[in-house]
Order: sequence, then C-alpha cells, then structure tokens
Amino acid sequence: MSKKTSYLILAPGLVLLLFFLILPLVSVIWPTFYDGGVTFNAYLEFFQDMYNVGILYRTIKISLIVTLISILFGVPTAYFIANSPKKWRGLLMSLTLFPLLTNSVVRSFAWINILGRTGIINNLMLASGLISEPITLLYTEFAIIIGSFYLFLPVMIISLVGTFENIDTEIMEAAETLGANRLTAFIKVILPLSIPGVIIGSILVFTGTLTAYTTPQLLGGNRNMMMSTFLYQNAMALGDWQSASVIALIMIVTTLLVMKVFNMIAAKLDKRGEKYA
Amino acid sequence: MSFVDLEDIRVSYDGKNNILKDLNLSIEKGELVSLLGPSGCGKTTTLRVIAGLIEPNDGAFSVDGANLTKVPVHKRNFGMVFQSYALFPHLTIKENVGFGLKLRKESKETIHKKVMEMLEVTGLADYADRYPKQLSGGQRQRVALARALVIEPKLLLLDEPLSNLDAKLRINMRLEIKKIQQRLGITSVFVTHDQEECFSISDKVAVMNQGVIEQFDTPEVIYNHPKTEFVARFIGFENFFDLTLVDDHTYAAGDGSLFKTAHTWETTQKVGTIRPEDITILSKQSGPAVNTIPGTVKVRTFLGKSYQYEVETPIGKLLVQDSDETTYTSGDEVSLYISEEKLILV
Repeated sequence: MSKKTSYLILAPGLVLLLFFLILPLVSVIWPTFYDGGVTFNAYLEFFQDMYNVGILYRTIKISLIVTLISILFGVPTAYFIANSPKKWRGLLMSLTLFPLLTNSVVRSFAWINILGRTGIINNLMLASGLISEPITLLYTEFAIIIGSFYLFLPVMIISLVGTFENIDTEIMEAAETLGANRLTAFIKVILPLSIPGVIIGSILVFTGTLTAYTTPQLLGGNRNMMMSTFLYQNAMALGDWQSASVIALIMIVTTLLVMKVFNMIAAKLDKRGEKYA
Repeated sequence: MSFVDLEDIRVSYDGKNNILKDLNLSIEKGELVSLLGPSGCGKTTTLRVIAGLIEPNDGAFSVDGANLTKVPVHKRNFGMVFQSYALFPHLTIKENVGFGLKLRKESKETIHKKVMEMLEVTGLADYADRYPKQLSGGQRQRVALARALVIEPKLLLLDEPLSNLDAKLRINMRLEIKKIQQRLGITSVFVTHDQEECFSISDKVAVMNQGVIEQFDTPEVIYNHPKTEFVARFIGFENFFDLTLVDDHTYAAGDGSLFKTAHTWETTQKVGTIRPEDITILSKQSGPAVNTIPGTVKVRTFLGKSYQYEVETPIGKLLVQDSDETTYTSGDEVSLYISEEKLILV
C-alpha cells in the first residue's frame, strides 16, 4: 500500500477526531487564554484562590489514596485469581467484573445506605454499644475514597490478572528451587515482574477517580468538592463556563503529569527498560 | 542404599489415573542419570517429584540417607535447569546467578567471588551486567546452568534443557554440561525425549513408559539389548516378528524359517527384533538357510549415506538399511541375513 492510500484510509478517523474532539476542546480552552490578547490571568486567578487550590489538592490526594489501596487490595486478589484453577478463574473474573455492570448512581446509593446516619454501620455500632451517637461517615472524604475504591478496584484487578497470568510459572518454581519460600519468591520475583500491570492499573484508577462525577457528588456532598463536581457546579449552577474551562484544562494537565510520573516510577522499578502507556 | 533413592513413588492428580506407578529408581553419587521417554511418560513428573515441586501420593524419596519426601522445594538445595530456562527477566546475569546465594545470606564479597567464578566456568564473564533478554538462547541456557550450580546443590536436575536450542548448539551444550558435571562431580538427573542426546551424556538411562521405568541400565546395554518391545521401538528397532523356541538358541518364525541367536533369552520373550541397519541385504540365495529369509523389495528410499529398503518377506515387512554399492530396485528378489549376534528377543 502506498503512503498516499494509507493516509486516505486514515482520513475519516482524523476528520472525526478533528471535528468532534480537537475543535470542541480548543473552542472551550482557547477563551481561557484570550482576553483581548493572550493571557494566563484565568489560571493565575484560579491558583491565587486557596479554596480552588484546596479542591485540586483534595482531588489529587483522594485519587492517589484510592490508587494506593487499589494496588494493596488488587495485587493479592489478582494473584489469587490468576493462580486459581481454570474452571474457577472465569467465575471469579465475572464476579470481579459484576460491579462494573451496574449503574454508578445505584452503586453510590448503596454506599449511602451503608454509611448514612441511619445506615448499616452506624446501626451496628450503636447496637453493639461501641458508640452512643451516630458518627458522620457520609459526606466525608472517607466516603468518597470508599466509593471510588469500590468503583475502580475491578479495573486494577483486571489489569493485574493479565500480568500475573503472563508470568511463566517456571520462574516462580526456579526461585523456589534456589531457596526462596513462596512469600520471598513472590516479593523478589513476581512483584517486580507485575509492575507493568500495576502501572497500567494505577493510571486507569487514578484518572478514573480524578474524573468521576457521580461518586464524589453523592458521597462527598458540597463540602468535599472535587474537581469534577466543582467543574459541574461552575458550569451548570453558576453558568460560569470560563471557570469551568479553566478547571477542565487543569484536570487534563494533572492527569498527564501524573501519568508521566507513574511512567517514571515504572522505568525506575522495572529495569527491563520497557515502555509503558 | 544408594545416594538417591525413589521408593514406590506413586503420583496421581485425580486419584484414579496414576501418572507414576510404584516407581523405583536408585542413583549413585556422581552419576548422571537420564529419564528418557515419549511425552506423557512421566519423566518430567519424576523430576518434579525429586525437585519437590510435586508431592507424591505414596512412596519415599531420600538423598544421602535423609528422607526428603515432605521437605519443601526451597529447603532441598537442589539446582534445577528448566526447559524455558526460567531466568529472572528483571535481574542482570550476575544477579540471576547470585539469587540463590543472596537468599543464603552469604556476604557480598563471597557472592561476587562465587558468581564470577561460575560465570567464568560457563563462559559468561563478559555478560555479567546484561539482562536475559540481551542474550542468545545458548547463553541463557548457560546462565540457567550457572544459577543452578552456584548454590553447590546436592543434586542437579535438568528438565529438557536443550530442547529449545538448534541442532548444532545442542551438541555443543550437551558436551559442555557433561564436562561441567564431571568436573564438579555432581549427581544429576537429566530429562529428555531425544535418545541420541541421552545416550551421549548419561552414565545410566531409565527408559520410561506410562509411568513406569521399562529399563534402567547403561546406554550401551540399552542400545544393544533392549528388554522390552517398547524400549526397542523407542531406540530405533523397527522390525518385529513372533518367534517360538524350538531348540537351544534356535527359534522358529511363523513361516517355519529358523533363527539362531547368540544370546540366552528368557522363555517368556517371544518377539524377535533387529535394527534396520543390522540386517544384511543380499541377492537372492538358493535354498533355505538359517537366519536368512527371502523377500521382495517394495520401496527404496535414499537416506544420504545409505538406502532404506522396505522388503516384503514371509514373516512380514522388514525395513533394511544398507550402504553397500550394490543397490536393489523395487521388485527385486533378495535374501535378508539376520545375524545371530544382532537378533534381539523382547
């Protein structure tokens, strides 16, 4: 195939991307830099207001915490699934995926039922005498973290199961014959080899948490605003599209920066020198 | 009691079908013993039982008088070379080889010294800081060997270590393995399905079939005197025909022709067999003679250094390999001479 024809085949996709992704994005972002002349005032203003910076900080903090606990819980679960007999693996995988098939509003409501003042946790603790008055669990950062963790853990597990399955079982056995017990072999060999999966999972979970709207909206309330809910409020409640656009670009840049950092960590940890997403 | 003893080992994955049935094997110190057999014969399972990667359902395994049946893999101190080499891709060659020593909490200096020595022995000193991906198949193979040997194991286990190499490299590597094994005097178990490889490297060979050892002996004895039809077939005997004992060292075939043999056989052995290259093909002889059978050439195949003939005889189709200058063509009437010395009963 000549170069010309291959460009021709590419054309429909390119046109689609240009008109439905690039152009709308530029049309939203451009005004934030233009006020009679090119200016960064909109962004300077955003960062001068500590309230805004606080929301950005909270967003990044929550996304990072969710990513970390997803790794913590995802690694053992995924390893277990990857090493279970073939006939169970399919079932375990579909159980893992099941939450992804339900609507995120419904899932968040489930957490409201659990975490609320008259929710399951408070009722149990009251009944057992651990506390004398209901404690506030809902509309806290904790609620957002729990909800997002629940939402994105399957993503981490799926990306890890694939990685673990691709590690040759003989490598684990080789480590054992050389004197490593199972745990040591896991830490010294399997874990380092699972870094590609951890990184891809982390990027997905992090960007997922960062951009999710329903969960922070329903579980965090107005006092625990995240960038996505803040953006929505600016655009829909206040009608301030300029500020909403500023927030949007900051979110995009944050995502890109964090991905970059993840990749740098991966390159440091995984010496095989492979490139990641 | 031998250095390594497997006693009545039984392995079954589902409780019904036995992968290994009452397997017994004794290995003397310093020997290199091969487990030879077709895929599915249980040779790798036997090796994995020895390594501790599979726990046998019944039976005992001991080394140097110590019962190791229940001792986990990581406490056995055996070196194992895997078919896939199973190198650690995230570690350099030096770190791969030093992995076992590091776990043994040896000092940094000792580890470095031992690793470099072993890399010297295996000809890998120049590659110490590379990663497995950057090495060729043969080099990776040597890393796997070095990694298994550096821990000074009681036993060296090799699971088809040469099967991923090309033919030339394979011959070089098996020589190298044999040299290193002899130099270190390390007792070794070698699993393979390649009889030539196995005969060239081993002190003793255990030919396995369907979970049992059919014959355990030196390569020479197995090559010349296979005990069972399975062993004979596996190591290149092609011609099989029924025989009945009629007199001392004399047997009759189905058509009444007589065969003398130079060896003494048990009365239960009733199938005669001979390698294609051990049959002599002659132009048609007049009259019957002992150890000679008439036949008609059906197919001639050129093999390079010799011809292979498929000859129709009264006792069945026989394959003959002959490098003689006189060649025969399809339809030729010939006589086949089966020497007393080479006729084997199984």
